Parts: sequence; structure tokens; C-alpha cells
Amino acid sequence: MLPVGLMLGAMGCWVASGCLGLRGADDRPHQALGLLGAALGLAGSLWVLLGGASGTLTFPFWGGTARLEVDALSAAFLAPLHLVAALAVLYGHRYLPLTAPKGAGRWVRLSVGCLAASLTLVFTARQGLVFLVGWEAMALSAMCLIASEHEHPEVLRATWVYLVCTHAGTLILTAMVVLLAQRLGGYGWLPAAGAPAPGPDLAILLLAILGFGFKAGLVPFHFWLPAAHAGAPSHVSALLSAVMLKAGIYGILRVSTLVPPVAHLGGGLMALGALTALYGAGCALAQRDYKRLLAYSSIENLGIIAMGVGLGLAGRALGLPWLAALGFGGAVFHVWNHAVFKSLLFLGAGAVLQATGTRDLEALGGLAQRMPETALALLPGVLAVSALPPFNGFLSEWFLYRGFFTSILGGGAWPAGLAMTALALTGGLAAIAFAKFYGFIFLGLPRSAEAEHAREAPRGMVLPMAVLAGLCLALSLGGALLLPVLDRVVAVLAPGNPALLAAGLTLDLGLCAALAVLLLGLGALAWRWQGRIPAAAARPGTWDCGYARPTVHMEYTAGSFADSWSALVPGVKLKIRRIRELFPRPTTFHSAFQDEVGEGYAAGLVLAAAARMQRFRRLQQGHLSVYLLYILVALVGIFLWATVRPRLLP
Amino acid sequence: MTPAALLHGLLQVLTALLLPPLLPGLINKVKAAVAGRQGPPVTQLYRDLAKLARKEAVLSATTTPIFLLGPVAAVAVGLVASLLVPFGHAPAPVHFEGDMILFAYLFGLARFAMVLAALDTGSSFEGMGAAREVTFAALAEPALFLGFAALARSSGSLSLSGMLGGSGLALSRATGPLVLVLAGWVIVFLAENARIPVDDPDTHLELTMIHEVMLLDHSGRPLALAQYAASLKLLVLGALILGLVLPRTHLAALDWLLFYGGLAALCAAVGVVESTTARFRLDKVSQLLVAGLLASAFAFFLLQAQP
Repeated sequence: MLPVGLMLGAMGCWVASGCLGLRGADDRPHQALGLLGAALGLAGSLWVLLGGASGTLTFPFWGGTARLEVDALSAAFLAPLHLVAALAVLYGHRYLPLTAPKGAGRWVRLSVGCLAASLTLVFTARQGLVFLVGWEAMALSAMCLIASEHEHPEVLRATWVYLVCTHAGTLILTAMVVLLAQRLGGYGWLPAAGAPAPGPDLAILLLAILGFGFKAGLVPFHFWLPAAHAGAPSHVSALLSAVMLKAGIYGILRVSTLVPPVAHLGGGLMALGALTALYGAGCALAQRDYKRLLAYSSIENLGIIAMGVGLGLAGRALGLPWLAALGFGGAVFHVWNHAVFKSLLFLGAGAVLQATGTRDLEALGGLAQRMPETALALLPGVLAVSALPPFNGFLSEWFLYRGFFTSILGGGAWPAGLAMTALALTGGLAAIAFAKFYGFIFLGLPRSAEAEHAREAPRGMVLPMAVLAGLCLALSLGGALLLPVLDRVVAVLAPGNPALLAAGLTLDLGLCAALAVLLLGLGALAWRWQGRIPAAAARPGTWDCGYARPTVHMEYTAGSFADSWSALVPGVKLKIRRIRELFPRPTTFHSAFQDEVGEGYAAGLVLAAAARMQRFRRLQQGHLSVYLLYILVALVGIFLWATVRPRLLP
Repeated sequence: MTPAALLHGLLQVLTALLLPPLLPGLINKVKAAVAGRQGPPVTQLYRDLAKLARKEAVLSATTTPIFLLGPVAAVAVGLVASLLVPFGHAPAPVHFEGDMILFAYLFGLARFAMVLAALDTGSSFEGMGAAREVTFAALAEPALFLGFAALARSSGSLSLSGMLGGSGLALSRATGPLVLVLAGWVIVFLAENARIPVDDPDTHLELTMIHEVMLLDHSGRPLALAQYAASLKLLVLGALILGLVLPRTHLAALDWLLFYGGLAALCAAVGVVESTTARFRLDKVSQLLVAGLLASAFAFFLLQAQP
């Protein structure tokens, strides 16, 4: 009861905070209520994660009863939600002031409050209809957030695409909820009792993967995501990328606890995840807009999480508790880690965007000298997202590798071998993307006047980033302490599993942490030995192999940096004129990116479907009399059916 | 911990700290001998490092502390990674299930830090080198991991010490696949250490380089750290390969002698390869790396076919 009460309080606080943001003259009440809501939410979820009893609340709803519950799985998703939402509210105070033009600041404050409240409902609802209500509220508040800069045509388009995609997903989910209700004998979500029914179970799980896959951005349902996340204000992008996408993963996990495991589904999800991860990483490194780069990297990371979920489902279906623990544990751990480092990166991107006004990587550079605090705070973020030790992203990928290797030893070698190769390649590609991200934003010489005159972000924006950067290291060094928590989550996902992670991995993660500390210590020693850094004023320019007057235009560009791999990415078009003559004329090079799956293939399908749908336009006449005729025909039809039905179906 | 294990660990740490600068010296001596020159003494790198340690570092006005972080990370990573890989055949000082993943990603960290350091200078040469480094590394990583997977399958162990601590290639029941892993890893070894045919460590001012060009702006102690880290990487990745091939005796001392002999032989082999082969054209390098990837992949598939 206690955790559910805390969650209800949190929802109330968030809604009230949103309303105050819309109407109030001062930002402080909005912030205070938001922080209070986040504190309540964090307290409730930590209570459950740290071993407190999970809470349930039952209330009458639409002729039946509905249930809210906070168990370890809900808490695992609620904790990052409230953490990131709190930091986003703090950050938003300076990033998007209350007095922003056209009321965007107020509108975003309202929508952030609604989004946090509705996500809390989504993660606690245990009844199909309540879940759908929460899901729709979440989708609509996210739409308002994405549309907050709707004066730009591309933002408007992204909002439309998002709206269509999310409703396509909701439609599938509605079907799923109805099927689930038939399977479970009611809309209440309690694990199915009795004999497994492979046919309906498979249908339910497939619909869940399809519908939730739209939200999680799994390929080929990802195409709404890059434009939507890149176009939103940065702290909102952080909230959307770090938390809202995970609602899709949560949904898949939750539904998988309700029905018995189905064979081979885990392997399929693993393959889909591997494809998503590779596609996301490949597209990320080809981007020129750094917020789109981050959005594609979210697709990559959701793919990695899906691989973990697939591994866990496979382990559960095959009755291998260790594999299930590694898969589910790794997936949930990556959910937390991704929430931390991706929101850090988006907040940093927002600071850069505010300081320079451009989202073009080719127009930046040299910001580490102009924005040293932001640059320092983002360094753990880029290392973590590239899965490099000693930061947290490495640890959750380590879980997955460990699971794949275990699976290879245990006989499931083909899928695990392929998934492992995909994960290794993804890691390499992500490293390229983020070396590009960090190197061409913060290092080198500024490539434009905007970058040249950039100023450090205000404290109110740097502080949330510093908190997240500290968490990147803390989650890695304290990984061994998180194992009992992960065990509690795995116990929800694979009931009957003993607490394997704490028993099996504590020593290994402890050694990992010890080596990480040793690494940092050795680094500190070597740093000290290197000696003092002379002041910037006393230094010469970069030695360009003897060339005396290097200019900014001779710097290596972000496009060239990723050139060898981006040529392989589907959707990258390079226009270059081959030089054949002895005295070549001036030439140009042009590259463009179009998401091959989303903007190429899926858009074609949608356009074709829309053309077909045009036929139905004839029904929509605009004459009142015609509509009255429709109503009459419908009524007569129903009447006829009602009279004929008892005779046809005795 | 038994006294023998303690002694072994101590010897391994001392080897990792002191031996690395000898290896490039050996390679260069072999190259000189093949070319009919006398060549620099084998201890040349020790002398270079001692000299660099006394020199003042010159830093470009463009650079930030990130520039200094590169060599520091490379050295720290090399030292930590040297604790994970077995030298000779006794288990490494630190071993746990899944340590090979940490091992591989540690070198990823070093590479990332060096790439950022190179980009920090704003020089187009170093940007080019950095771009090539990350491009080829993304191909080398899956080859390394497929080799790990094959070894895990053949040894039944999930730690480097267990995978490489067996009786070596000659006596193993899985000789064929392990030869393929060896082939794949030798390619990874040459690429990661920036040796011919992937990269030429001798050409300092030519455009087709990878590793050396990233160090163009380093000087003084940072340069010393970077060069030491490069030789350390040669030792650690060399130990990885030697673990596959060296036979195992029952005498610890003999195992160590075999290990040092193996290292010398590896250096000689690298020297001979460098003297007789030309560097590949840049677009051929990725083909070479894909060949390494395929070799490891075939090893993995062959081991799946075995009962």
C-alpha cells in the first residue's frame, strides 16, 4: 500500500506542478512541486527495489475492479523516470525560461508534468483499460512536447509522423489488451493460470512486440524517433529518450510475465534487437546533426536492451535460470544506464545548442576551451555510451556478453554467436559515432563564429549534468551492490528463479570495480608524472607537419571522420565528381542522409496506403442530409441484425 | 594465495613494467639485420624514454587537458590489461569469468582516449589518423570476440586464464580451429599494434599512417607515455597470441623461459614480416581485417560442428 500511495502522491504533485507551470508567474512553485513528486516517486520505487513489500491498490473501475501495483519491475522503471524528470525540471528553468516566446515554456512545463504523471500510471497499472488510458495520456503529452517548437515545419512534420506512429502502436496494443483479456478471463493483469495455450500466447506476445516496438523504436518501427527527439527541446529529448522509449520495453516485459513462455520468441527478439542495434549505430555515425546522432544512438541502445530481453525470454522458455537472469538483469541494468548517460548527453547537447544556436557538427569545435565544465561533464557520458570501462555502459553490456558466452557453452551457439558479433560491431560503431560527437563539438578549432563566441552554460544547467556524470561512475563502481536489486527484478520476470545474480556475479563485479579503481589510480599517477600544463597564452599553435599557416578550413571534418563506415550505411548519398583531367576545375562534395527504412521504404508504403484511402473520401460529402442517411442506414442495419440474429444463431 | 602464485604474479607485474620497451628494439634489430644494417641497439627505446622524460613538453594552444589524457589512459589501460592475460601458462594475477570482455573493452578505452587526444590538436593529419584508427578498430573487435567464443567453446572456460592456460595449440583436440583463431588474431595483433602490412611505424611524415600520425603533436613526457604504452600493448597482445601456441611444461621456470623465448620469436617474426612485406593500400587493410574476422568466424563454426 505504501509504495502505491507514494506513487499516487507523485502523480498528483506532477500534475499540479504542470498546472502551476502553465499558469504561475514564478517558476519556483512549479519546480518545488515537481521535485516533491520526483522525491515521492523515487522513495516509493527505492522502497520496493531495496526489498520493501510491493504495494497494491484495488478500486472499482468501469463495472469491474482495477488494480495499481508497484512491484520490483515497475520500480525499476519508475526510479529512472523520476530521477530524469527531476533533473529535466531543474535544467529547464534556465534552458527554456517561463517567459519563452509564444508560451512554449509554459506549455512544456504542463506537458512535462503530465508526461511524468501518465508514465507513472503506465508503470503501475495492472488492468488493461487503465493501462491504455495511461498509455494514451503519455502519448499525447509527449506529442505536445515534441510539437513545442511547432513554428519550424520539420518539427510539425515530425509531430505528425509521431502521432500517426504512436496511434498505430496503440491500435495494435488495444487488440493485444482485448486478446489478453480473453486469455486471462478479465481485464485484470494477473499471470495466466492453467495450461499454456500456445496459439493465443504467441499472438499476444507478437502483438505486444509489434505495438510496444513502435514506442521502443525497434527497426523497422523506429522512423518517427530521430526527427521527433531531435526537434524537441533538449531536456525534453532527454526525458523522451531516457524514459519514454523504455515504456515500450516495460510493456514487452510486463506482458511476458502474464503469459507462459513461448519457444523461439526470445531468439526472434534477440535478432530484431541485434538488427536495431547495428542499424542505429550505423545511422548514428553518419549524422551531421548531433541531436539526431543522439537519437539514433537511442535506437541502438534500445536494440541492445531488446537483445537482453530476448536472451532472458529464451532462457525462461528453455528453463535455463542463469541465462534468464543474465538476459533480464542485463536488459534492466542497461535501461538504468541508458537513462543516465543518454539524458546526460541530451542535456549537454542542449547546453551546446543554447551556446551556439546550431545543431550542425561541421559548424562547431573548440568548445572544450569555451565551455570547460560542460565538456568535462560530458566526457563520462560519451565513454559510457561507447560501453567503455570504467563507466556504467560497459557493465550492462558485460552482462549481455556474459549471457551470450554462457549460451555458447550451453549449446545455443548460433543465435548467441551472431548476437555477440553484432554487439561487438555495434560497440565499435558507437565508438566512432561518439568520438565524432565529442571530438567535433568540443575539440580542435572552432569552425564558425557561433562556436568561436560560445559561453559556458549557467550553473543551473551544469549541475544536473554533473549529477548524471557522477552517476555514470557510481553505477559502475557500485555494480556489485546493485545485484540483489536486479535479482528482485528478475524474480518478477522469471518467477521461481533463485537469486542467481548476487550469488554468481558479486565477486566478478567486485573485481571489475577494483580494476576500475586501479585504472583510475594508475591514470592519476601517470597524470602527475606528466607534470604541469603551461598556460594557454604561452603556447605555440598546432604543428601541422611544417605548414606554417594552417586555417580552420583545413581541419578534418566530422563528415570525413566517419566517411569509411558511413559509405556502408543505407541511406547515405554521396555526390562527388571524379577528377579525370590534368588541370581539374574546382569541385564540390555533397553528402546527404535519408533514413532508408523510415523515409524511404515506410514513407512509400504510407503514401501508397493514403492514395488507396482516398476512395473513402467519397463517403465524406459534407452534406448534413447524407450523414443523416448514414445514421438511418446504420440504425436499420442494427435493427435487422437484432431481429435476424436469434433465428440464424439458435 | 600460495607463495608460488605470489611469485608468479610478482614476476608478471615486473615483466609488464620493465620488459615492453625491449620489444620494439628487438623488432628493429631484426629488420636492420635483414636489411644488412647494424641498426640501433635493442635498448634504444629505454634511452629514448629516459631522454623524453627529461624534456619539456610543448603543447599547442588549441589543446585542452583531453590531449594529455590520451597517453595517460593508454598507459593505465595497458598496465591493468597486463594483469588479466596469462604470461606463460599459470593463471593471470586477476582472473574471473568474463574478464576477456573487460580486456577487449579496456583497449577500446585506450583507443578512444588517443583518438580524442588526436582530434584535440585540430590538425588535419591527426584527424585523418584518428579516423582510420576507429575505422579499422571496429572491424578488429568482432574478430577478437569470435576468437574468444571459439576458445570458450574449446576450453569450456569463460576467463582468459582458463582459455589460454590449456596445453597449447599442439596438444589440443581442436587444433584446426585454433590455427584459424591464431590466424585471425595475428591479423588483429598487427592491426592493433600498427605494424606492417596495416601501418608502417617507420614512416613518420607520410599520409598513409595511423598510429604514428596521432602522436605528431605529443612531446616530452606525454610522448614518452604514449610510446611506452604502445610497447606495452605489443607485449600484452603478444602474450595473448603466445597463450595459444606455447606448449606447457610442468616446471614454472621452464614455462617462463618458453614465454620469453616465444616473445623474442614473435618479435623476430614481426621483423621479418616488416622486412619482406610492403604496407597494404588503405582500402586493402579493411579486406585484411575482414579476412581475420572470417578466420575467427570459421574457427567458431567448426567448433560448433564438433560434439
